[in-house]
Amino acid sequence: MNTDTILEVQDLKKTYQLGSVPVHALRGVTFQVNAGDFVSILGPSGSGKSTLLNMIGALDRPSEGDLSIRGTGISTLNDNELADLRQRVGFVFQFFNLISRLDAVGNVELPLTIAGVPSKERRARAEKMLGKVGLGDRMHHKPSQLSGGERQRVAVARALVTDPSFLLMDEPTGNLDSVTASEIMDLVDRVNQEFGMTIIVVTHDPAVSNRARRKIRLVDGHIESDEVNHN
Amino acid sequence: MKSRDTLGYSFSAIRLRKLRSGLTTLGIVIGIAAIVALLSFTQGFQVTMTTQFQEGFATDTLVVSAGGMFDRFSGEEPSDFALYVNDTAAVMEIDGVDLATPIISGMGSLDSEDSHLDLSVSGVNYTEYSTLYGTTFVAEQGEIPAVPANDSVVIGSSVYDPWGNGTIFADIGDELVLTITIRDNGATHENNITVTVVGILGEIGGTSFGGGPSDSGVYITLGTAVDLFESEEVSSVVVQLVSDDEATIDQVTLDIEALFDNEASVLSSTSVLEMMDTMLGTIELLLAGIAGISLLVAGIGIMNIMIVSLMERTREIGILKALGAKGRTVLGIFLSEALLIGLIGGVIGIVAGSLLANVFSGIFGGFAGGMGGVGAGAGSQLTSMFTTITPVLTPELMFWAIFYGVVVSVVFGLYPAYRASKLDPVDALRKE
Repeated sequence: MNTDTILEVQDLKKTYQLGSVPVHALRGVTFQVNAGDFVSILGPSGSGKSTLLNMIGALDRPSEGDLSIRGTGISTLNDNELADLRQRVGFVFQFFNLISRLDAVGNVELPLTIAGVPSKERRARAEKMLGKVGLGDRMHHKPSQLSGGERQRVAVARALVTDPSFLLMDEPTGNLDSVTASEIMDLVDRVNQEFGMTIIVVTHDPAVSNRARRKIRLVDGHIESDEVNHN
Repeated sequence: MKSRDTLGYSFSAIRLRKLRSGLTTLGIVIGIAAIVALLSFTQGFQVTMTTQFQEGFATDTLVVSAGGMFDRFSGEEPSDFALYVNDTAAVMEIDGVDLATPIISGMGSLDSEDSHLDLSVSGVNYTEYSTLYGTTFVAEQGEIPAVPANDSVVIGSSVYDPWGNGTIFADIGDELVLTITIRDNGATHENNITVTVVGILGEIGGTSFGGGPSDSGVYITLGTAVDLFESEEVSSVVVQLVSDDEATIDQVTLDIEALFDNEASVLSSTSVLEMMDTMLGTIELLLAGIAGISLLVAGIGIMNIMIVSLMERTREIGILKALGAKGRTVLGIFLSEALLIGLIGGVIGIVAGSLLANVFSGIFGGFAGGMGGVGAGAGSQLTSMFTTITPVLTPELMFWAIFYGVVVSVVFGLYPAYRASKLDPVDALRKE
């Protein structure tokens, strides 16, 4: 394993039981992500993207093989250890997944609150992060008072505030118009280049995957191609 | 997640659904208010009873009677045993007894020129009785004669003024006809005597447990009572002890019981108070049980609402878990919501309950007051007793009220909270 390896996926398999029929969502996937990478994972629906995303996000365990985040393999972890590991993953969802009753700063604070960070410190960190994503003047707005793009910025700030090992994005522009989507991807680019943050983005949108420096294409539960993006 | 943050997060969830949280809390409020109102009222009642009882029954006196004042409720066969005037002498012989005086009492009626009252008539030795009840058997008008004539009568304040409006039934020097109905083997006849009012007692208030004077009492001499009732049988012998220490009370009680072959009942104020406490304790328990049922219903309401809330917030739980929340954090959040509902409900319930208890005592006071005007004696006593009931809200009662509110909420919140904590994050996030 390279010392710079953030994520190592080794012959990952996941089989679901749909009634009495076994469904092979992942049939042996192997790849590594190094620090500072910007990787997109593409594939049509049913290719195993979501299953892979859940395991990279430490939400689920593999049936076979292993996936390690900074050297910690997830297959043998119990629920509590998995939860702890998730605090090191910055998750950004397609539907923003903000808590509607909390304001922007409250939402960004939430992962720090869960991690038990003292209130003054987390407030300061959340405010700083919101400033970095360009929402310094919208901190006390509720999600319902924010536009789609602003909501996704809050989600990015929430994902980054814990200083995670990597940013894991699930169709981050799937719910945005093309202009806003482009703005969000500009932000992601900046996060990758300025902060050196590792980005893994799962998408079927070429406009998003073209931003990445590496494309991993999944088909029927295995990797069809894994190539450097020449765009 | 720190406990303070968990509580803060839960509180924001409660605040979001104000109406629903309010209605859920209302269940707890009603349960706790019912408990607090009923118990503080009963405790107030107990305090009033005890105080008034102690006023009329000193700790250094014993009351000896043929059948205990509570025996009539026991369902046992009434015995033929009776106490007579001359038994008093034997009681006086016992060590530790300072004074023993007999009381003959029964129902009778008094007629003035234009009014008629049915009431309780007591034959007492004026001198001894006023020694025993030095603070209550005191004439406010006239006097309590040391050597009374046979036709003397001393009346209580509510016989003097039975309607409470200044219309006097009988004044000092007035002649009244006292009638006693004697029942003898099925046949009845009446004995009359004309008596002259020599003394009117000051207002005593309270009740006349243990043979003490009462506002509705009519007191004639012992000799006259023997003639009127055609019997030397006494209803009780009141015994003054040399001291009110427990050893003396116990020893004299045993000696008197032995004197009458364990047929007589000997009551001390302490033993009666214990009995009253037990009775009121049972009533309290019953009332608390009834109120407890409403708390149980409230608990089921909480469980129901939390299960609905859990379904609605599945996605939120998924987000929390995706952000690194452990199962026990989610459990804590949901239990905190139940805890806060219990706590808020408990506090509001205590306030509502104490208001309710005051309303109770007002209604009871007013009700008894309305009853008390006519019919003299008994009514007036009731009035004075109920109007003085102040609900007692002890810190213990408040503590237990909140405690039960919280326990019920948390216990019923446990299952929904457990289910929330066990939700699979992948499934939870997929939920629309």
